[in-house]
Amino acid sequence: MFSSLIQKAATYLTEAPAPSSANRPNKAAIFRSYFRLPDNQTPLQEITCELTAPTGDHYVGKLYLSEAFLCFTLYPPSSSSAAPATAGVGFTLPLCAVRRVERLHSRSYMFALAITTWHGAASTKEERLTLQFTGMRSSCESFCDRLKRALRIQMSEVKNMKLLTETCYSEYLLGTTSESKADGKKREKDPPDAGLGMLFRYPGDSRKLRDRSKMRLWAEYLRENGRNVTLIRQPTFHKLVRVGLPNRLRGEIWELTSGSMYLRMFNPRLYQDTIKEFEGRHSLSIDEIEKDLNRSLPEYRGYQHEEGIARLRRVLGAYSWVNEDVGYCQAMNIVTAALLIYMSEEQAFFLLSTLCDRLIPGYYSTTMYGTLLDQRVFESLVEKTMPILWEHLNKADVQLSVVSLPWFLSLYINSMPLVFAFRVLDVFFLEGPKVLFQIGLAILRINGEELLDATDDGAFISILKSYFSRLDESAHPRSENEKLRAVTRFQELMVVAFKEFSQITASTVSEERIKHKEAVMSSISSFAKRTQLRNLGPEAKRLDAADLSIIYDRFHAALYERQLRDAAEQEKRKKQVKSSSASTKSNISSNPLSTSSNPTTMDYNTFRDFLSTIAAWGVADTPPPPPQTNPYTSTAYQPPPQEPADHDFIHRLFRRFDSDLSNALSLPNVVSGLAGIVGHRKDLMHTITYWFELYDDDGDGRIDREGILRISEALLFVTRRSLPPPSPTAEIDPSSIFLAAVSGFIRRCFEYADEHVYSPTDPLSPPPLIDLPDLPSPPSAMSPSGEKKNLRDSNPVLDPKRPLFVTLPTFRMVVLADETLERFFESGWADTFILSKNRNPNNVLSAPMDSGLHAFPFSGQVPSLKGIRGVLDGIVDEATRVAAEVRRRMEENQAAEIQEEEEEGEKEGVGAEEGDRELLKGAEAETVEMGRVRSEEGEEGERRRRSLKVVEERGEVEWGVEEGEGKS
Amino acid sequence: MADNAGAPKPSSSVKLVLLGEAAVGKSSLVLRFVNDDFQENKEPTIGAWSHRPSNFTLTLISAAFLTQKCNLPTRTIKFEIWDTAGQERFASLAPMYYRNAQSALVVYDITKPSSLTKAKHWVAELQRQASPGIVIALVGNKLDLAGPANEESGVTDTEEEETQGDEENRRAISTQEAKAYAEEEGLLFYETSAKTGENVQTVFEAIANAIPESTLKPRGAGGLGGAGRGGAGEQAPVNVGDASRPKEGCAC
Repeated sequence: MFSSLIQKAATYLTEAPAPSSANRPNKAAIFRSYFRLPDNQTPLQEITCELTAPTGDHYVGKLYLSEAFLCFTLYPPSSSSAAPATAGVGFTLPLCAVRRVERLHSRSYMFALAITTWHGAASTKEERLTLQFTGMRSSCESFCDRLKRALRIQMSEVKNMKLLTETCYSEYLLGTTSESKADGKKREKDPPDAGLGMLFRYPGDSRKLRDRSKMRLWAEYLRENGRNVTLIRQPTFHKLVRVGLPNRLRGEIWELTSGSMYLRMFNPRLYQDTIKEFEGRHSLSIDEIEKDLNRSLPEYRGYQHEEGIARLRRVLGAYSWVNEDVGYCQAMNIVTAALLIYMSEEQAFFLLSTLCDRLIPGYYSTTMYGTLLDQRVFESLVEKTMPILWEHLNKADVQLSVVSLPWFLSLYINSMPLVFAFRVLDVFFLEGPKVLFQIGLAILRINGEELLDATDDGAFISILKSYFSRLDESAHPRSENEKLRAVTRFQELMVVAFKEFSQITASTVSEERIKHKEAVMSSISSFAKRTQLRNLGPEAKRLDAADLSIIYDRFHAALYERQLRDAAEQEKRKKQVKSSSASTKSNISSNPLSTSSNPTTMDYNTFRDFLSTIAAWGVADTPPPPPQTNPYTSTAYQPPPQEPADHDFIHRLFRRFDSDLSNALSLPNVVSGLAGIVGHRKDLMHTITYWFELYDDDGDGRIDREGILRISEALLFVTRRSLPPPSPTAEIDPSSIFLAAVSGFIRRCFEYADEHVYSPTDPLSPPPLIDLPDLPSPPSAMSPSGEKKNLRDSNPVLDPKRPLFVTLPTFRMVVLADETLERFFESGWADTFILSKNRNPNNVLSAPMDSGLHAFPFSGQVPSLKGIRGVLDGIVDEATRVAAEVRRRMEENQAAEIQEEEEEGEKEGVGAEEGDRELLKGAEAETVEMGRVRSEEGEEGERRRRSLKVVEERGEVEWGVEEGEGKS
Repeated sequence: MADNAGAPKPSSSVKLVLLGEAAVGKSSLVLRFVNDDFQENKEPTIGAWSHRPSNFTLTLISAAFLTQKCNLPTRTIKFEIWDTAGQERFASLAPMYYRNAQSALVVYDITKPSSLTKAKHWVAELQRQASPGIVIALVGNKLDLAGPANEESGVTDTEEEETQGDEENRRAISTQEAKAYAEEEGLLFYETSAKTGENVQTVFEAIANAIPESTLKPRGAGGLGGAGRGGAGEQAPVNVGDASRPKEGCAC
């Protein structure tokens, strides 16, 4: 559950409102969040202009054009902008809602457009906006050009816009009032869904709320200033919101001020499709939702009824599918239940996602980092604005957030009586999350005196509880002034919140968030880490705490890296799509609500990344391909410096670790996997068995010829970087010792292998290997080919046609027969993993060495030895490659094609067969050279090496020649 | 209801936090303790609007806060109880609630093995992160779902039990297993039923008794006294002295 938190916290905390942006919100992100636009909008053009509203009011401000919107505001957005545009004068006009644009005839130095909106023409009096541009003629022209083009593209959206407006209550409201004039019959249709309130009554006494007169005022405003998509915000608009929205318009205005209306417009079928697609499906979230349905505002009549419950179930369920990262969090039920009183399911669905993604990101995530962060911010604001109270809280040892956290988490819905909570929401959607802080501070300020007497959680809580229950009472019951007496406590609260705490702005909040994010993140991640590490199975006890900690960190780092990489690639793809088609829908419709999911398990490739950070052999030998033309510009992502290796052995390890056969590794998988290796250091028998099992593919206790070759290949593979540099004092180079050991291993395996008695009916027996076409025998080192046949006859075990296998006891014996291998299996293998920093790892050959060996770069630290190293390097490489080649040949002959190896063949750049020969020659040359350079090794060593190659290359053995060498 | 227990018994408050997997019955336990009430089905965790008895000082989203007094022969303990939400993601908020708690009730469901695992995690978390002297009680709830025969006797062969009819005995965690764990960790241990009320008062009394007197005066200052740990699991019912009259123990 907590596994994804680091990434999650990191992605959230480093960005402001828009997801998937890098460290600082870029200009486009600020622009979007300011005008509440969908995520695919970018500012294309801007110009200073004077707006003349249909009411005749004039405003000078900035006009912006994005792909699908024309926006006007008095104050240009900036990273420190105080509030969203919705909080001020202006408009956010979808281009599809523009009916006509005219260039006004005016004096030559004036440049003006008259815009008729969708509603403008429909209404009785001609209603238009006039925009008079100020600026260079050329920039005016270019703005108009761009606008013209965008308008044309957006024509296709008109249909969606119409669909949307049909569901807006404002249409119905204004339609019915002007009913007498135009098509009266049509207007008699049912009002659009304005929430459960229409069925079960809205909370509160509508007379007391003066709902009717509010509605009249709104109707008037909407008639003059446009409605829903075409609304222009003038100062009256904000006043009307502040005094509380009328019941039936509340949902629509929430949608409008939060911007969720635009999401809904561009995704007309998303909600219904999601419901349909996931109908009857189960998930943890669905179960959790089910449990809470009966506990979501149960005091509201609509939720004592199946209809209300069913709506709530569908909206929460649909959201949990669309954003599986968040899924379902308790408290979402309360918030959604509140929304559904005033809006349709579809409206609530989009508003919920706007809430979770934009307005209060991270509140409901699996770690709830947003909640925790905002609590820290709130505490710090209390400390700043009410130092005496703060000090008192500290002295009394009362933790503020146990009280305030639920306020934020449920947007006050669960704390205040509903009618008042909705008033807070009205302002919240308009002005943003700072409202939550302002209200919270005001609550504490108003109750400050009493709170100073409270000395424990209980007293603190009961003071506030009693305050909330009396919000409708007069704030000044004993005042002589009648007007003052009429002021309710809630009105007082609003005044204190927005007047006394007017200095708390959006930028205050975002600055504080930045200030505290690190502390919050680290406390969350340390909590998650210890929780997760505690959650590991009993195997984990084999590793010490430091190792576990390292594995945890690397595991998450690998996941995180992979995620960044994926995100970067996605972004790239998106861009390509975008540039190819200018349609706005191109990426909205591809599930706009889902953020990239946070994996908690590693696939094979991520596992490779992970291995490359804990084992030297996990790093590929080839340098990473040169960076292409800036593929990751959009995020600050840099590909890791080391390319992870890919090898059959890693595949096997992956499968071995994947104990639950899910084809993905969780942290417990990885930990118990590594515990099975590192935790058994010094346990020779265990390790031998471990390796045997890795290669006993069918679990029958036998490893065939192929497997033996693969093992030897793997031995060379995992040690190729872990071998110590040849020290000038050592007599024999450790690499060649190991090489010799491996070649001895192969030889002995074949020598002591059991012959499989082949019977055609035995399903266990592999089909006989097809005879290899006679390879041209290498020039030297071979016994005369005449003898070869005899040898083969005399030693049937060596005949590739005859299946053979080793059993565990044989395998064990073969390993124990060689001191080098024994040491490797005893501790060297475990030591190839680099975990705790302070462990002083023994070298795989346990020869004395410097501890830095694992990281020893093959490029050579000791210049004088560079040449030798290069040769050695070549040999190891060649040996593995030759082994691979042999297998390829064998498989080719069996008409089995393995792509990997083919690629390898292609890489060689020559035809397969020729490549073989070349390869062999190369190997020969190098062994010869090798022999020359390291003459002290003597001929025997060289012969052994050479014959190893031959064995591997031809799949047959001429050991007879060297029989005399004996066993050590 | 404050001082009805008698004359000048010293009174002190003790912060107690309830932790455990979702749906193990944390809220039911508290409700039973505070209100002597049980609501079938309506129960579970957070928001908990459905049960809002007068004692509920405030029901919150992430945790509910309740208080209840417990009269012991020598003193009165006022429990300030934080009943936390069980949903997994709320776990990261838990430190807020167990901070400075003098006692904790870690609850699991005797019919659900995963809940004991979770309980063990909470115990480990508390032992490492909470105040040093914290008194922890491990509580296996839903005892009413265990077969009537073996309330006290340990059920050793759980697999066999499970194959038996659902109605009879749904116990999946034997008393012995949990008890052994509790002893090893030095926890108080009880099996309770919030539904029948069995052992509920006893648990709270045992906790009240186990809080060392020294930590009581300065509220929240975690004492070093080990808080009556060590073997407490086995002894606790005896310590309370009069488990036979639970009703009297906490009279409110």
